[in-house]
Amino acid sequence: MSTRPIVAVPPEALRIVTFDAAMEASIAELLPRYPTRRAAVLPVLWLCQERFGWISPGVVRAVAARLGESPAFVEGVVSFYTMYQTAPPARYVLQVCTTLSCAWCGGRELVAHLKERLGISFGEKTPDGMFQLVGVQCLGACGTAPVVQINDDYYENLDVAKLDAILDELAGRS
Amino acid sequence: MPKLTIDGHEVEVAAGTNLIEAARAAGVAIPYFCYHPYLTVVGQCRICMVEIAGQPRLALGCATPAADGMVVKVESSERAREAREAVMEFLLANHPLDCPVCDQAGECLLQDHSMREQAATFATHMLETRRTFPGYERRLIGPHVVQNQNRCIHCSRCIRFTREISGTAALTYKSRGNSTFIDTFDGSAFDDPMSACAADVCPVGALTVREVRFRKRAWKLRSTPSVCPGCSIGCNVFIDHHERVVYRFTPRENPAINATWLCDHGRFLAESLNEQAYLDPQHRSGGLAVRVGWGEALAGIAAEIRSAGALRVVASANLSNEELFLARELFGRHFKGEIAVPVAPGEPRKMRNGRGEWLHATDPHPNSTGARRLGLAVVDGEGLSRFLYGGAGLTLILDAGAHPFLASPEALQLLRVGTTIVWARREHPAAHAATWLLPTPSLAGNEGTFTSSTGAVQRFAEAFAAPGSVHRTATGAMSPTCPTIASPWGPPGEARPLWVVLTALARALGVAALDLASPADVFAAMVRKDKAFAGLTWETLGGRQPHESFRERQHVG
Ligand code: SF4
Ligand code: SF4
Ligand code: FES
Ligand code: FES
Repeated sequence: MSTRPIVAVPPEALRIVTFDAAMEASIAELLPRYPTRRAAVLPVLWLCQERFGWISPGVVRAVAARLGESPAFVEGVVSFYTMYQTAPPARYVLQVCTTLSCAWCGGRELVAHLKERLGISFGEKTPDGMFQLVGVQCLGACGTAPVVQINDDYYENLDVAKLDAILDELAGRS
Repeated sequence: MPKLTIDGHEVEVAAGTNLIEAARAAGVAIPYFCYHPYLTVVGQCRICMVEIAGQPRLALGCATPAADGMVVKVESSERAREAREAVMEFLLANHPLDCPVCDQAGECLLQDHSMREQAATFATHMLETRRTFPGYERRLIGPHVVQNQNRCIHCSRCIRFTREISGTAALTYKSRGNSTFIDTFDGSAFDDPMSACAADVCPVGALTVREVRFRKRAWKLRSTPSVCPGCSIGCNVFIDHHERVVYRFTPRENPAINATWLCDHGRFLAESLNEQAYLDPQHRSGGLAVRVGWGEALAGIAAEIRSAGALRVVASANLSNEELFLARELFGRHFKGEIAVPVAPGEPRKMRNGRGEWLHATDPHPNSTGARRLGLAVVDGEGLSRFLYGGAGLTLILDAGAHPFLASPEALQLLRVGTTIVWARREHPAAHAATWLLPTPSLAGNEGTFTSSTGAVQRFAEAFAAPGSVHRTATGAMSPTCPTIASPWGPPGEARPLWVVLTALARALGVAALDLASPADVFAAMVRKDKAFAGLTWETLGGRQPHESFRERQHVG
């Protein structure tokens, strides 16, 4: 299984964020692709999430300063999208599709099973910090419903048994 | 210049004017919530929809420029009326409808529009319970602004204000759709230097001003056009008052100076207008101060001036042009006195005008430019101290608040040496060194003009007469004192504007040319005499053009 765990940088370390040379290089590469610096807010935030695991207020401030926007504006953008994590996420973020095709093809059972097995509801993390459950709208893979996205990877054509095997495998990793 | 017809009224407007402003010019009111004449047009609220002949779809009044030959229907269009009703249903679906306990009531665009279309039923198709924002109903988001998110109609005026005008970009939408709310970065304090303007532009009661809310219902307030005394920029304000108490300043539109904005510093000076530490003229002899009537005071002061060997006058950049002119003519020209106008250093203040340019204050006085244009000697603190060391028989301090140096022990020592006459309103140590102490009213009790740093001569009107000040000869006996008015700031006093006292002194001293009956007369004399004022007429001075009150009130929100 290839799914990479998320390594979230702890809040203390993200209070004041400065971008290192590698990060600056990635940003510099991104910027020419956008008509304005403001238009690059989303991809730069995405870079940050990949790098730090989540978007802390410190990250927001750094992105705002880098792109010449106000921190309030950048934070507003972050809050608009569900895919930006605004608190340190679990190692594995399970985004379960709750939209029509998946719901019909067994998605509802998956949701019920996940909630029971993990003992958490949507928006929560397991106490050991391994799993986080997020209910999302159509992931665009209706043809292979039901679908769960774990971190960056799609798991398709699922049923409860397959999902359990995946979770066992992930939980078994250190 | 496009010529168009709106609800049957023909009107010609400048190219680029939108339909809301064109309709206003034609005397037709197109309702709006998100549109503001000094913010970018976003077309967000959809209440301004109108029908344009020949166009299949309704158009937005805020985002459609007037075009030649257009035939626009607002009230006369059934489709537009239906659209407005639908928008109102949408906006009211989640609105708490708590007008009775909302401080915006009376100056709320949403309420006004509901009232205007009373005939509408505003039926709702909503079955769900109202969306609320627990914890965001009474939240202090900065030093001056209180948020009630339940009332927000998501017009983004407040956000645009911070992005486009104050430049802090401190406010933002958070979350999305139905749960969108207004917030600052990381919940930090909304300490924008113009923060209260965000509450001004908020068309509803979602943002209100902490200092003012719940102190007086909006419909009780009377508005008197005036000029902010906070700095040399001279923003145009309304003094909002009720029963001789000042409650607030609200911005009064002036595209050349403050558009529709005020800085927090200036805005919150309003409260200080209620301070009146000195109520009666006082005479001090042998260390004992006794209250005297104006008649006695004027006679006594006239005698002091006549017998003075040398006369020194500390004027003030807080005085009106008329008062400075009277002081110059009376004390300078007729009695050969020396006059200095001290100007204090001020905190840097700036204001964005209607063209988007920043104006910067040179000092914390409303009329330093006027003093210079009248040819008076403007001095700094050091100059003032040298002036006072100059030594003279009689010293007149026309405004104790003219400069902080006047309150220093050094200055007080100097003032104690000769005879000193002090005009003051707020508690001031120089009052204790004065042989004669004369109470002046605040800006709210005076009338005149200030010259702004850009050179605009702007009139301010008297909000309420200080009790007894209606007759300039001010004999006390003629004062219509009104004991039935119980002001929370104490009993009605005998404060007289300086121009009243100076013209009365002119009469007592036999200077008939300055025995003038009103600030308008003084102004006319000044226009005749001073090139800087040539060509101006009192009636048409900046700030007193007839304003269309609908616009004034509606866009301020
Ligand atoms: S708080 Fe007021 S100004 Fe800001 S978006 Fe809401 S209704 Fe508009
Ligand atoms: S900028 Fe000056 S004149 Fe304008 S509101 Fe502020 S203090 Fe008053
Ligand atoms: S409905 Fe689940 S992927 Fe489209
Ligand atoms: S959409 Fe025109 S005023 Fe809001």
